[in-house]
Order: sequence, then structure tokens, then C-alpha cells
Amino acid sequence: MADSKAVTLRTRKFMTNRLLSRRQFVIDVLHPGRANVSKSELKEKLASLYEVKDANCIFVFKFRTHFGGGKSTGFGLIYDNLDAAKKYEPKYRLIRNGLATKVEKSRKQMKERKNRAKKIRGVKKTKAGDAAKKK
Amino acid sequence: MSGQRESSETLARKDAPRLLALLKEMKEGLDVVKSKVEAITVKVKQDKFRTAEGISYLEAKHLLLLSYCQSIVYYLLRKAKGLSIEGHPVVRNLVEIRLFLEKIRPIDKKLDYQIQKLTKAAEGGPDEIITGDKKELNKSQTEEDPLKFRPNPDMLVSKSAPEEGAGGVYRPPKFAPTAMDDDDKISKKEKQALRREKALLQQSKQNSFVNELMSNFEDRPEEVREIVGAESRELTRYLAKREAKERQEEELFTRAPITRREKKLEKHMTKSRNGLLGMTDGFYDDVKMLPLEERENDGPTEYSAMERGGKRNKKRKARF
Repeated sequence: MADSKAVTLRTRKFMTNRLLSRRQFVIDVLHPGRANVSKSELKEKLASLYEVKDANCIFVFKFRTHFGGGKSTGFGLIYDNLDAAKKYEPKYRLIRNGLATKVEKSRKQMKERKNRAKKIRGVKKTKAGDAAKKK
Repeated sequence: MSGQRESSETLARKDAPRLLALLKEMKEGLDVVKSKVEAITVKVKQDKFRTAEGISYLEAKHLLLLSYCQSIVYYLLRKAKGLSIEGHPVVRNLVEIRLFLEKIRPIDKKLDYQIQKLTKAAEGGPDEIITGDKKELNKSQTEEDPLKFRPNPDMLVSKSAPEEGAGGVYRPPKFAPTAMDDDDKISKKEKQALRREKALLQQSKQNSFVNELMSNFEDRPEEVREIVGAESRELTRYLAKREAKERQEEELFTRAPITRREKKLEKHMTKSRNGLLGMTDGFYDDVKMLPLEERENDGPTEYSAMERGGKRNKKRKARF
């Protein structure tokens, strides 16, 4: 039941942002009869619409369905190349696109380390410090 | 007749010394100009100065000035010979050129900085490169060089600092041109009439009958939304607010975070009550707009956008 009904894409407020080497716009998705459209599907459609060579450079986010369903609105960005994307996009969006991996930092460890560092003032190496304290 | 001639003679005798002085001035000025122009033409003939590809604005300007001078000379000639200048095209010419010169004066002012820079670069350029005289450069840097324009915050006149009036009178600072509205001249009745019109306009926007008329008029495509039964007023207001918010978000390319209260409100709104939402809204509102009776001066307008009672009027859940 992937595409039983037609999904229409419309872009509004199209702007070429030369400073960040990307094109940004507002996306209107019309999907009568469906809950909402997945981001990967939207990326494919945008790639064909704007003839983007690398589908990894497309980022879509902040989609919200209108009242009553059938229409959702969100934002989209298309970067000129992958390097620009890696430079300017926030980490979480890169992770969503698969261009970066999440660093699994244990939250508890981080908090403990911070609390230990609170006791020491200055540039003293905290690593050496907590290695000494950990034992 | 003789009386007239005598009076004109006395007039001429009075003005004669002044005329002489003016003529002398003119002659001196012309001599100076002549000498300068001759010097320049000699140099141009020796191919020292290039006259092509200059600033075209300056070319146009000196051509204008030249023709102005010519017209003036011709005018003076006619006057000196005693010929009349009534309706002669030279007068019109003079006025026209004068007008042009006045109009291009602001351009002149704006270009002044650039022209000065160019001339300085033209004459001082090769010198600076050849002579590595640092002392000279330093001197020109420490002096206030108007050709090295930089934003200078010290020159800012503070808007809020009031200038002391001569007699201790306080004069409010003027920032922008304001129009003095004569508010006193609008009587109370006129003000009320204005307010009534405004309220009428607002109410008519919400009236369904008028909306239908307008959309028929403007050939707007019919918008069909899936609503069961009549739409309640609070729903329309909620939707209007949401649309306004979305428009703002799109403008700024961000999203405002949804609070818990908003989520609750949305849940409340999406709950379908079998199309009976709109039934409890005022019926009288639709009828109010129709011109069934004369309602010209009915007294102050009724402001019933939020029904009296405020919070107490909100629909409460029946608890059994």
C-alpha cells in the first residue's frame, strides 16, 4: 500500500542561499487518504523534481500535518555538494541521513565526569585528574 | 514723454557706478578663465593630457556650463546694444540650462568623494610608489584625511540629547515628518460613525451570507472541506490562528515548539461531536447583518465579539 493514492509535492518560498551553498524552500505535500508521507519517499521525489545527482544532499525536516489531514507542510534543503552539507548541517540531521554516526556517550559517565571537574579549577588536565580519582 | 526719459536718465545715472563695478568684475573673471583655459589647451595640444574616456558626467557638465556661458554672453550683448529680449529664445535657453544645473547639483555632491580620490590617485600614485618616504605617508595618515572615509561614531549626533533652547524652552527632537491630525475637529458623532463602520466591516467578513456573495463576485473556486454539520465559531477561530502561526513559521523557516496546552487544545478540537458543534453558536449574528430595518443611529455599537460573562461562559462538561 505504498502509493495507493497520488502524492503531490509543491515547493513554495524557494530561495537560493549562496552563503550556505544550498537551496531552501517550504514543501507542501498533499496526501489525501494517507496518514503522512515518509521522509525517504519525499527525498526521492525531490531528487527527481530538482534533478539532484546525490540524494544524500537533500534534507527534509519539521513536517506537520494540517488540521483534518490530507496536507502537510515542512521545510527542505538541497546542498550543492556533500562537503557543504557536512559543514553546515546540524549533527542530528546528518545522522538521520546516514552521513554521520551517533556517538554513544553514556549520560551517567558524562555527568560524573563533569561533577568531578567542578572540584578542580583551571587548566589542569581533568583526564589525569579523574584517572587518579577513579582508583 | 520727456518726464519718462528724464526719470530713466536719473535711474541710469544712479546705476552707472554699480554697472561699472560689475563690468569690471566680469572682465577680470573672464581674463582669469581665459588664461587658465589657454594653459590647458596648450598642454592638450602637446598631448600631455588625454581627453578621451573621462567621466562622462563631468563632460556633460562642462558642456552645459559652456552653453550657459554662451547664452549669458549673448544676452548681455543684446542688452548692451539696447535690443529687447522679450520673447527671445535665449531667455528660455538660459532658464532651461539653469534648471538643469540646479538639478544635477546633488549628483555633483555625491560624486565629489570619488572624483577627489581619483585625482589624488592619478597625481599622487606614481609618487608614492617611487619614494619610499614613510614620514610623508605617516603624516598624511595621522592628519584627518577626508579621503579615507571610515565610519566615525564620534560624529554621530545623539537623537535623544535635547538641544537647549535659547530661552530655556524645551523643543522636542524631530525624527520624522509627522502630520498634525486635527483630532479635535472630528466630533463625537463622527467618531462614533467611523467606529460603527469599522465594526460593520469586521462583522461582515464573518457573516456567511456576505462571504457567499463575495466569493461569487470574485469567482473564487469553491473550497470544500469535510465538515459534518455547521462549523463552530471556536473552531474557525482556532483554525485562523493556526494558519496565521504557520504563515509566520514559513516566513522564518523555523518551527515554534508545541506546548502541552496546545496539544490539549488540538486534541479537543479534533474530537468530532457528530456535527453538532455549530448548533450552539449565535443564530442572531447572521440576521444582524441583513438590512431588514433602519438601523442608522442606533446608539453605540455593540461589542459582542467575546460574549459578556467571559470565562464563566465557557462550555462546561456536565458532571453527573
